[in-house]
Amino acid sequence: MMPLERALIDFLLHFAAREELNAFLRSPQNTATLIGCLIAISGALLGTFLLLRGMALTSDAISHTVLLGIVVAFLLMTKVFNLAGDTSSPWLILGASLAGVGTVLLTEMLYRSGLVKQDAALGLAFPFFFAIAVILVSRYADDAHLDEDAVLVGEIGLAWANANSHCFDHCESVTVSPDHPAAKNTRQCLNCRELGISPRDERAVFTETCSNCGQYSPAKAWSAGLLEREPLLVFFPKSITVTLIMTLLSLAFVLLFYKELKLATFDSALASALGFRPAVMNYALMTLVSLVAVGAFDAVGSILVIAFFIIPPAAAYLLTDRLSLMLILSPIIGAAGAYFGYDLARGLLLGLLPLSEGIRLVNRLLGLSLTEEWNTSISASMALMIFFMFLLAWVFSPRYGLISTMIRRANRRRLFEDQVVLAHIHNHQHTARHKTELREESLHRHFRWTRRKMGRVLMRLRATGYVKLVARCAELTERGDRHVHAFRRSMLEAYNIPDIEQGSPLAAGTSSESMTETA
Amino acid sequence: MLLEARWKGDRAVWLIIVLIIVLGFAFIPLSQLLFGLRFTYTVRVVALGGSILGAISGVVGCFAVLRQESLLGDALSHAALPGVALAFLFFGRELSLLLIGAGIASWIGMRFVMALLKSTRIKQDTALGIVLAAWFAAGIALLAYIQSMPDASQAGLDEFIFGQAAAMIEADVILISGVSLFLLLMLALFWKEFKLVTFDPEFASANGLRVGAVNTLLSTLIVIAIVLGLQLAGVILMVGMLVAPGIAARQWTHKLDQMLILAAVFGAFAGGVGAVISALDNDIPTGPMIIVVAFTLVLASIALAPGRGLVWSRLRQRSNRRRFAAQNVLRDLFRYAQAHGGFESAVPDAFIRGVAERSAQLGLRQLQAEGQVETVAGGWRLTAAGVARAQRRRRNEGLWDLYRLYGDELGLPVVQESRHAELSELLPRSALAALESKLKGDGDA
Repeated sequence: MMPLERALIDFLLHFAAREELNAFLRSPQNTATLIGCLIAISGALLGTFLLLRGMALTSDAISHTVLLGIVVAFLLMTKVFNLAGDTSSPWLILGASLAGVGTVLLTEMLYRSGLVKQDAALGLAFPFFFAIAVILVSRYADDAHLDEDAVLVGEIGLAWANANSHCFDHCESVTVSPDHPAAKNTRQCLNCRELGISPRDERAVFTETCSNCGQYSPAKAWSAGLLEREPLLVFFPKSITVTLIMTLLSLAFVLLFYKELKLATFDSALASALGFRPAVMNYALMTLVSLVAVGAFDAVGSILVIAFFIIPPAAAYLLTDRLSLMLILSPIIGAAGAYFGYDLARGLLLGLLPLSEGIRLVNRLLGLSLTEEWNTSISASMALMIFFMFLLAWVFSPRYGLISTMIRRANRRRLFEDQVVLAHIHNHQHTARHKTELREESLHRHFRWTRRKMGRVLMRLRATGYVKLVARCAELTERGDRHVHAFRRSMLEAYNIPDIEQGSPLAAGTSSESMTETA
Repeated sequence: MLLEARWKGDRAVWLIIVLIIVLGFAFIPLSQLLFGLRFTYTVRVVALGGSILGAISGVVGCFAVLRQESLLGDALSHAALPGVALAFLFFGRELSLLLIGAGIASWIGMRFVMALLKSTRIKQDTALGIVLAAWFAAGIALLAYIQSMPDASQAGLDEFIFGQAAAMIEADVILISGVSLFLLLMLALFWKEFKLVTFDPEFASANGLRVGAVNTLLSTLIVIAIVLGLQLAGVILMVGMLVAPGIAARQWTHKLDQMLILAAVFGAFAGGVGAVISALDNDIPTGPMIIVVAFTLVLASIALAPGRGLVWSRLRQRSNRRRFAAQNVLRDLFRYAQAHGGFESAVPDAFIRGVAERSAQLGLRQLQAEGQVETVAGGWRLTAAGVARAQRRRRNEGLWDLYRLYGDELGLPVVQESRHAELSELLPRSALAALESKLKGDGDA
């Protein structure tokens, strides 16, 4: 991990000075937003395929079981091998994601046995693994990096503080030994209390202990005041490295295997017939989902991560029909959600509306005294903003949105009303009964419509120039006549019916009465 | 015979019900002995509340399991969290109001899922995932906001995430019992409708039942059960408490009423035992403990349930395999002996093994144990009993072949048994005679 970070920093130093880089990374907002965006991008890329394969809740499943993997690996690391607890260690990530994949296989086995349905297998196994993990956490883990809160929401706001230091110049690592000038040696009498003698007594035995001996990295040595010159340091948050690697992996996976993934997703039978092995793709996808879930655990916890997997692809799914476009849109939606999420956590909706105004209003209206300062969980706010993006897509999507659907339905209804009225007029004009059938005041009764609706439709038809009023009776204009004939011909062609009455008035079979019944 | 079989099937169910109840009660002195647990007032309240909650959520959860809506339960229980937080913000810490808030939030979540499914092409699992994540995030954000408020009365809202049995008081148990009674009453009132809608919605709607309304009622009951259990199991793990007893019960029986009773008993056991264990130690959150107990019950049921349990079906497979191997080896020995001059001479070992390697080993061992083959120098020989059995089998096979061929023609009664049953015992004497004459005729020809 370290050499990778080093190379990355070297690369970044081409664009920014060291101080700028440090200042950027030391700001909680920048780091949190960056990590949130990276998780959102990797989650959205993989989530797109999960959604299209109907496996959206598998990410839920994986994120739950991965927790057990993390907890067990963490406890093994700290309690058995006595290593420092670090949830971004590569071994832990590997072990935990294997646990995720393994449990997906286990549930598959469970419902293949035929005793338990698939939904029940999911609804049972994952709470169980999660339950064990929570019991282990609350009972054995006393480390600050792993507690119940971290499981739920992660610590994205503190990610900047958990950083590796990289030294670029004046790098002196110091080893303080007991004879080092800065060593703090204390003499301690071993047997004074036991024997009840003073330290000056001859029989006293002493031991020398050094309270600050040990290895000092350049950063630690500088802060301990052991160095004269300040080392040139860059502090790089560990979470950024982990999530960056996950994002690059997901991106590479999707780009390299785009064709295979597409085929396996939409036509798995064809894929296996062509020798593409969709099962391998499936497990690769599961492995990557587990990896991303583990990588994101530090930042957003094990439950909220599913918001990053499921919601952005769902929003993109409402916006487009093309897989390639979906793969571009959903990371953008996720990243935008993560970006605005930080503002929301600090009380600004979309960077515009301060939430404290709303709380003040609620306080005034309901006579409550809620705190006006809105300061809340960053990861939850990011999930909420992603959901907000989804709502926007649902309402405003040009093809599948609520508004466009409403407009389309209204248009279709209007078109239908027009055609029904035109057909009625066409059937009855120039017949003996046209005075009773086509009178403007009584026309609405033939359709069982209200008078107002009839007036509206008639007005529209007259405005388009299809219908005119002759002696208070409706009659087709020449343009209207042409329109009716064109419409009739198109309908006959659409249903492949031979046109028997070429040129005659509209066929008797499509009388207005039968058409109103279909309305 | 049929009645007896039914009684036998039912007996297993009643036995397991009694067993679990006895185990549940035995847990009280057992825990006193083993863990030195003293049944103080608090522990009694917690145990009682836990069992009632477990029972009612198990009963209602059966419908979620049967309708394959376990994951709806998952989403709805996560979705309750913002309701708890909002109710707290507006009305303070009053349990019934918090629960009503939770119910409203999760009900809105349910309507949102339905609206999504109706107006877009998003599929159910995605819609559930969206609601689960978004509502839960809202809940977490609100809880974090509440925690940032200065007054200290907010302590304890966290218990809705993982459940906290120790917080239960007598008034809560009374509330739980009341609502549980109401739920049971509704189930009894709409029993027929729920059953019909669960198993055959098309038939129900064809008979003029308002399926949509019944579905909504049933989902509402599920939401109420979820909300009731939140305090004990927490929003994340409530789904386990809802579906685990039902899944366990499903393994034991095919009848809805028995399944509900079993689920109630399983749920009560899991809820009670889990709550008591977690009350022992403040470090063990209640929800996870209940789930672990419930999951153990499920595993035991999947392994041991009569008829379809994994252990039994493994055993059955094994005995089937052994019987089949024995049959084949017997047939091979018989034919070889017939073709090579008499049953006295030995059949070479290499021949039998060559025909069917592993299963030959299995079959020979089986036959030897039954005293139908014996080892002689250089191979195997059928004993008298073996010869008799092989001849009987051969005759039976011949009869079956003829029965399949001429059964219709001779107007013989229909036999439902498998080919391995003795046909001569299944057919009336006259029919047998007709077949045997055919057998002789066949043999002559």
